[in-house]
Amino acid sequence: MSKKYRQWVREYQDQAWTVARYILKDAQEAEDATQEAFVKLWNNQDNIDPNRVKPWLMKVTRNGCLDRLRRRRDNVEFDESHMAGEVNGPLQDATANETGVWLKRAIGGLKEPYRSLVVLRDVNQHSYEEVAGMLELNLAQVKTYLHRARKQLREQLAEVRP
Amino acid sequence: MNEYDEKWEDRINALLDGELSADDAELLKVEASDNRELARAIVEAYQLQQVMDTIHVERAPDSLRKRLRAVPRQHRAKPVFSLMQPRWAMALAAIPLVLITITLMRPNTPSEADVAKARQEMAIAFAYLDKAGVVTRREIESTVGQTMANAVTGSVNKAIQSQNLYSKEKKA
Repeated sequence: MSKKYRQWVREYQDQAWTVARYILKDAQEAEDATQEAFVKLWNNQDNIDPNRVKPWLMKVTRNGCLDRLRRRRDNVEFDESHMAGEVNGPLQDATANETGVWLKRAIGGLKEPYRSLVVLRDVNQHSYEEVAGMLELNLAQVKTYLHRARKQLREQLAEVRP
Repeated sequence: MNEYDEKWEDRINALLDGELSADDAELLKVEASDNRELARAIVEAYQLQQVMDTIHVERAPDSLRKRLRAVPRQHRAKPVFSLMQPRWAMALAAIPLVLITITLMRPNTPSEADVAKARQEMAIAFAYLDKAGVVTRREIESTVGQTMANAVTGSVNKAIQSQNLYSKEKKA
């Protein structure tokens, strides 16, 4: 196994998984999407700038997830009701923090690209510049969209909080 | 969302991201003290940030970790097609040889025109051979005849000369 590939897996598997998990809201599909992204990374490892692997991988993971969402919509309307009983993935620490659980659901309910922006910037803690590269947006767009997304979340939070 | 809201959002987010200068942050606080809506937006933004701090990057499940480690074994890099690779170079070099072999092994089926032309050429060749044969025969005959004549006359002359020499010696 390629040494650098192993290193990339160690460094980025959790971040890629988190992106896939939030976007797809389905553990099995998120695993498949994350694996697909890493397969692409493996097959293209000689063509990728080593300094740009993280944004490349996050972008590929996100695009793969969005493709899956489109296919899902083309086939049947995905039933998101199972999310309420979800105990794994982003909601696995539900019992520890009710507000955290609520926030994860609220993020999952955002539309694209707001959802990806929040996950990449506020959950994965990528820099604005990195997020801009991943989503192929300019810095001003990233900030504007992210501010709108946060505002939506803020307003929803104010509604559920006493 | 109007322009005014956008400006608010920019400043509130810059405040939370720590990107607002101290002067601008102070200015925003002063402004918020006179604007209840702005003050509420700032408080809500802080609350959201606190909640955001409670969620983190998820640990990938063990099943996924195992699958990712298996990727190099299951997805070997596909060989790149290149004419410069030895096996392709050899294959290319073999193509003319195969074509030549096939051509040589193919049974000859000449056309009627070819046959007629060949017959004509053969007739000319045989006629030439006949003519050449006649000339050669004459030359052989003349050459052999001359040689034989020389051989006879030469030996007779030698016999006469030796006879003359013997007679002279005897007289002496």
